[in-house]
Amino acid sequence: MASALACDGLTVRFGAFTALSAVSLSFPRAQIHAVCGQNGAGKTTFARACAGLLAPSEGSIRIGDALLRGGQVKDARAAGVELVHQSFALPPSFTIAEAMEFGLTGQRGAVFTRRGLQARWQPHLDALGVEAKPSTRIRDLPVETQQAVEIARALAGNARVLILDEPTAVLAPSAAAALFQRLTRLRDSGVTILIILHKIREVLAVADTVSVLRGGRLITGPDAVADLTAGRIAAAIIGHSPAKAGDAATETAEDIGALVGTDLPHGHRHTVSAPHAIATLAGITTKPAADGQSLQDISLTIGAGEILGIAGVEGNGQRPLVEVLAGLVPLTAGSVTLDGTAVTGLPLAARRNLGLRIIPFERNTEGLSLSSPLWENFAARGLLAKSALSLINPSALRRAAHAAFQSWDVRFTSVDNPARSLSGGNAQKVILAREMDDAAKLIILAQPTRGLDLGATAFVWQAMRDARDRGLGLILISSDLDELFDISDRLVVLQGGRVAGQFAPPYDLGRVGAAMVGDH
Amino acid sequence: MIDLIVAVLRTGTPMIYVAMAGVLAQRAGVWNLGLEGLMITGACASVVVTEQTGSVALGLAGAIAFSVLLSALLWLVIEKLKANPIIAGLGLTGLGLGGTDFGIQAVYGSEGAVTAPAGIPTLGPGFGPFGVLDLLVIAMPVMVFAVWFLCRRTRFGLRLTASGEHPFAARSVGADPARMRLIALLLGGVLAGLGGADLSLGGLDIFSTGMTAGRGFMAFSAVIFGAGHPVGAAFAALFFALVEFLGIKAQLVFGENAPRDFVLMLPYIATVLGIWISARLRGGALLSATEMRDG
Repeated sequence: MASALACDGLTVRFGAFTALSAVSLSFPRAQIHAVCGQNGAGKTTFARACAGLLAPSEGSIRIGDALLRGGQVKDARAAGVELVHQSFALPPSFTIAEAMEFGLTGQRGAVFTRRGLQARWQPHLDALGVEAKPSTRIRDLPVETQQAVEIARALAGNARVLILDEPTAVLAPSAAAALFQRLTRLRDSGVTILIILHKIREVLAVADTVSVLRGGRLITGPDAVADLTAGRIAAAIIGHSPAKAGDAATETAEDIGALVGTDLPHGHRHTVSAPHAIATLAGITTKPAADGQSLQDISLTIGAGEILGIAGVEGNGQRPLVEVLAGLVPLTAGSVTLDGTAVTGLPLAARRNLGLRIIPFERNTEGLSLSSPLWENFAARGLLAKSALSLINPSALRRAAHAAFQSWDVRFTSVDNPARSLSGGNAQKVILAREMDDAAKLIILAQPTRGLDLGATAFVWQAMRDARDRGLGLILISSDLDELFDISDRLVVLQGGRVAGQFAPPYDLGRVGAAMVGDH
Repeated sequence: MIDLIVAVLRTGTPMIYVAMAGVLAQRAGVWNLGLEGLMITGACASVVVTEQTGSVALGLAGAIAFSVLLSALLWLVIEKLKANPIIAGLGLTGLGLGGTDFGIQAVYGSEGAVTAPAGIPTLGPGFGPFGVLDLLVIAMPVMVFAVWFLCRRTRFGLRLTASGEHPFAARSVGADPARMRLIALLLGGVLAGLGGADLSLGGLDIFSTGMTAGRGFMAFSAVIFGAGHPVGAAFAALFFALVEFLGIKAQLVFGENAPRDFVLMLPYIATVLGIWISARLRGGALLSATEMRDG
């Protein structure tokens, strides 16, 4: 029997960078095939090449018996291959019905009425158990429903191979379980499923086979999951050097577990003798921002020497929380205290002088100016605190940047190179070097390890633990529960802009997950 | 009152055609600041071709041909040469304004004006005060409906909108955003050419250099004012035409008492105010590119 999808010597290059190198894989029909690897292993490139979105530099892809012309999404879709993207690819202003219609191929019904459109797509939503009206706009949907709509869209065209690129990254645990049930039903009806995952736990829960990529190469696969253990998959993902920066940590074993998602860590109680509050939010309420997020009556205290984890499905108030602490949005109610000083009306510069530091959500747009030299990116911290007319001394700033980068183990060639010349992990280290200085008292880290490989992730975690042990207060905002459970001393769940629950180690996945989706 | 309606329709219709070109480009993801250039090219070509051949139909065809040609050029510069669309659009406007000025002076001498022997057919005296309305004015509502239908009630329109709002989404379903933009700009070229032709051949039957006088930019404003919605943009253009009419009335009423330049400024002030008010009503989200293509 021919395989549902097979690639032979698949190589994809972007300029001088080789994202995928001679990958040969063959996936049998009507099974769930997991593809794993750490960030930067080439998983998304693989998924996109299989869907025809990227043209292979070398090698070939076969769908059933037919050879796929690279870069031809139409051909791939005609052959029954559909891709569900990691961050969803549906125009936000479209209604559900429009979003499902616009991707449809074939001539039937190219013209429609609004009612006709909704009537056409309602059964598809019902069939997948998606509870949403076809007239709802995409941007008004929670992420899990957006994902369900995209899966429904993918299946509308009679898909035979469904590829999902890290579908669980944005889901609450219960939504992930529901997704897996849905996928199992699809498999049983004959659909072949390729699912990109980066948590071994999830691979074991849903997949029939697993293939592991590392550094763009195929390490092993597809291997029947029944014959494998979590440890062997982990070894394939990590390779020879499991997270170098972890050697200093006492929690190394749990860190590795959290990095590859084998067993969910339960967290450790890190007791501080009588911690004093480094920051206090009291009854904070904000107006909804353009993306609809707001905070509703949030009260939190962050103690010196603790890491406070903020869990929650993305878009539930994480961004306003950072903006409130930074003083970037007006409050409709409530007050903010930083290290004993009321800062409610103070601008960001004043708050920074009091020791507030931020590692923002978007490394490449908010954290760094990619086109500016590294030393300018580093010096921005000090220059902010000065008056606009004060003189600057570039050579001294260059020396300071050089010294700081070396002590933070940044791999760079010259401080005059633009920030865009660095890899994700090194770019994050530049931000850490800038924000985790001696005067820091409260550090907000928003998705600090997103997109980083295992080594860089472990480095960031170690830096956070070191800062905590020096008596700083840290707020870790993450959508990765493994990360949160592993290093948070305390956990707060945000849901709909409210505090839906506060937890202390040992963490209970069931209770945290329930709070994330608003089941109390 | 009938005078007002007739005047507003006559002034507004050329802008509406051009605004529909802007709507199509906007939905496909191009901020087409070349509309002014397309409009004056259509106005010029229609009169010149009519004057040379004696045929209004050929004049309209000429307006469309030149406008489509310039739109294709804009697409090439944006998509193939990867130029900034805003700059390229402004360049197109400069090309249209300067090119027509130069061409007219080179061919017809330094007067900078050409008169056509005939204009677009009108309804005629049988329709009373409405008799002066030409066929493009009459066809205007149908055209606006057609653009609305294309954008909002066809799969093609959804793909067009997706190409502008979320190009990666369009690519993921196998649509080519660059090709969608080409189609949008070429269709827009047809409409902008007709809009220009209606400006020159829809009454005075004269082309004079610089006669668009910013109406192409007003049409662009109408696109933004109408949030990229065809019907919204059409009403915005009618609003601008109304303000212009009232400005002329004010000039007649106040005569020497009001500074002439100030009265001429009124439509533009009203435009700024109108956009500001509509932005406030929308909660300030007007300038966000993804919020523009609602409804």
